[in-house]
Amino acid sequence: MFSMQGICKSFGGIEVLSDISLTLQSGDRIGITGANGVGKSTLINIATGFLAPDHGWIQLNDLMLTNCPAWEFARAGIRRTFQSSRFLQTATLGEQLFLAGHAPEYRNRLADLLDHSNLQSSLHLFPDEISLPLLRKAEVVRGLVTQPEILILDEPSAGLTADELHQFGTFLNQQLGRKTALVVVEHRLDFMAIVTDTVVEMKLNQGLQVRAD
Amino acid sequence: MDPYLASVLTNMTLIAFLAISAYLVLVVGEVSFGQQAFFGIGAYLTASVTVLADGHVIWALLTAVVGGAAGTLVLGLLTIRLSGLYFAISTLCFAELLRFSLLQTRFTQIIDGRKLGPDGPEGFSNIRWIFDNHFDATDFLLLSVTCLTVLLLLLFGLARSRLMLQARMVGNDPILAQSQGLNPTHYRLGFITLSGAVAGFGGGLFALFNTHIEPAMFGVMLGVHALTYSIIGGLGSPIGPLIGVVLDIGLLESIRQLAAYRMIVFGGLVALFLVFRPEGILSHRLVARLKRRWGRRHV
Amino acid sequence: MNTLQTSLDGLMIGSTYALIGIGFALVFGIMRRINLAFGACLLFGASLAIYLEPWLGWGVWGLFLVTMVGAALASAYVERLCFAPHTKRTQSMTAMIASFAIWMQLDEISSQMLPQRTHAYDGLEMPTFWLGEIYVRGDQLLHFCIALISILLLYVLLYKTRLGLLIRATADNPETAYLLGVRVPWLGFIIFLLAGILGGVGAFMILSADGYVTPMFGMWSTFKGLLAMILGGLGSLPGAVIGGLILGIVETHAGASLGAEYRDMVTFGLVFLVLIIRPGGLMGVKIYRTESLAQERI
Repeated sequence: MFSMQGICKSFGGIEVLSDISLTLQSGDRIGITGANGVGKSTLINIATGFLAPDHGWIQLNDLMLTNCPAWEFARAGIRRTFQSSRFLQTATLGEQLFLAGHAPEYRNRLADLLDHSNLQSSLHLFPDEISLPLLRKAEVVRGLVTQPEILILDEPSAGLTADELHQFGTFLNQQLGRKTALVVVEHRLDFMAIVTDTVVEMKLNQGLQVRAD
Repeated sequence: MDPYLASVLTNMTLIAFLAISAYLVLVVGEVSFGQQAFFGIGAYLTASVTVLADGHVIWALLTAVVGGAAGTLVLGLLTIRLSGLYFAISTLCFAELLRFSLLQTRFTQIIDGRKLGPDGPEGFSNIRWIFDNHFDATDFLLLSVTCLTVLLLLLFGLARSRLMLQARMVGNDPILAQSQGLNPTHYRLGFITLSGAVAGFGGGLFALFNTHIEPAMFGVMLGVHALTYSIIGGLGSPIGPLIGVVLDIGLLESIRQLAAYRMIVFGGLVALFLVFRPEGILSHRLVARLKRRWGRRHV
Repeated sequence: MNTLQTSLDGLMIGSTYALIGIGFALVFGIMRRINLAFGACLLFGASLAIYLEPWLGWGVWGLFLVTMVGAALASAYVERLCFAPHTKRTQSMTAMIASFAIWMQLDEISSQMLPQRTHAYDGLEMPTFWLGEIYVRGDQLLHFCIALISILLLYVLLYKTRLGLLIRATADNPETAYLLGVRVPWLGFIIFLLAGILGGVGAFMILSADGYVTPMFGMWSTFKGLLAMILGGLGSLPGAVIGGLILGIVETHAGASLGAEYRDMVTFGLVFLVLIIRPGGLMGVKIYRTESLAQERI
């Protein structure tokens, strides 16, 4: 379904990613862990189109996405969250979630997600008036409402307590749906254990072959 | 109504078009120092259609709209890879280039024994539409205010639509916008072109009102003033730019004795204002909070 | 030979543009900001110089000194009001707009000091001479030397002193510099002061060579400095120098062959082309897009 092959990326002479490959099928649940600086962020950025790889290619179903701009990745069905839970600070949460799920075919999914997420009472608030655990959930809701092929989470545990993290994991499991593939880039293994089936470790300058079997 | 008051208010209304034009570019996250050039193009086009082609005013204003939009579209396409300060400076250069072109434009014709038409730095005189159609100061004020109101209503409609929120996202956080599947270039070009259309229309009205236009009227200072009104007024609502206009021109008229010191006061006030409230008067948050309170009262 | 003469004249003028361009480049290179009030600061310095001249009676060198000091003071004022309160990376536009407001303010203050459309600005009485078939104005030659010395002094400051090291380190990476104890806000003040001084020197050169100052000088010098900086590459100091010189030469040639009207058109056209085709300018400065992901951890 989704395939990244032979991805290499250097910044100013320093090779950050060398020969990374990642294959995903519908419904896969993969975790990627690794020390700081090993290239996890770069990997996410390349997988979502925010960075172009120096070598290698990226394909989703029959779409070649290599060198496409990030918005095309998103349109194609690859969605992500951000480490700092990116939201527009000048619009309410409700406005932004309804914007994400405005298409008629997503209305039901949005209503469903909102029901199960405890966010109803926060919809009229601005993102900086909302607690972090709720904001993380909102990001997942925003990511899932379009029923994407892949959802990539970027260090979702940052700033959450163990309890909040557990709750978040449960919520994620319930709402993910069978078709969406999940990739979690994270270093909290307890969280990974809740939401993923396979965990791979990235090491500096070593190739990585990820195929969930 | 006192004709002087009417002309002051008309002036405010016309500058408001320019301020709104600057606002539309600010929405997509860019700063333009060049909107005055499209205002000027609209003015010259309208003057040409009414004077040289003896066209109906509707056609004249329509031409101004199309001309302004075309101008900004060209600018937008040329600067497609630029953003921030680079984009801002390029708008300045483009505007000055357009103004220089106007300075070189000489196309005079003898009509009814008079030499009419754009005449380089002398400008375009004898735009007699308001005289030929018996529009006095109050009539034209009514016309201008009506047009502005229609524009504002259209913009309010736009503001409530998805398009506006998406454009704001593109302007505020392009990375977020892209992650939501939005192509920033489309929004940029769209709003920039719209801004040119609005500026062109305002310029068209300006030509009719002033009866005389010349390139010197459409210099950088005009554009940067309009930009400042937009920023002070706030980007939370299309009325924001209007507030900025009223504040400055109102200030100018009310402290006429201090007219000489107006810029000293206003300039200082703007800088101070930006220290304490950089988002402008009508910020998005304020507007949202007002809407919330209004909604509650009507529930 | 005409070409050589024009080029030489252009070089002389260009050296003054270079100084103003350096003023912009210092601020942009180190603080990632554009000070739109810069030209107005120079006008303020010159206006102050002429205004105080009857009291001080120091002649041309008095004009030089007061222009420089006035420009530096105005520049420091702008820094405190428009730039010090907006130091976050996302606030560069706010600072720029605030500086525009003070541009208007300083322009007005200068008009109050110099109410007429033109005022005499005395220059140095210096001989003119011939170099073969080339005609050289003594005062412009002196100005060129002053410009060279100023740039040299700046170089020494930036590359041979501790302060210069601090400045360059902060320019390279403001966040790290702050963490290492460099008082970045205080540094901004120094930078603006420096820019004002250099700009004041440039302003003196231009005005004394022309012999007069008009209210348009503020906007005019802002344009020249900005354009010089962009030609050379935003934020690059050598770029500003080269950009200024090239601007002077291109402009003078355009004026000589096409006439004064088209001269400015050529300037703006050139800069516009540079921005579209090679925004990094001649020195190929890397464009720091605010969305640049390599810079930002997202």
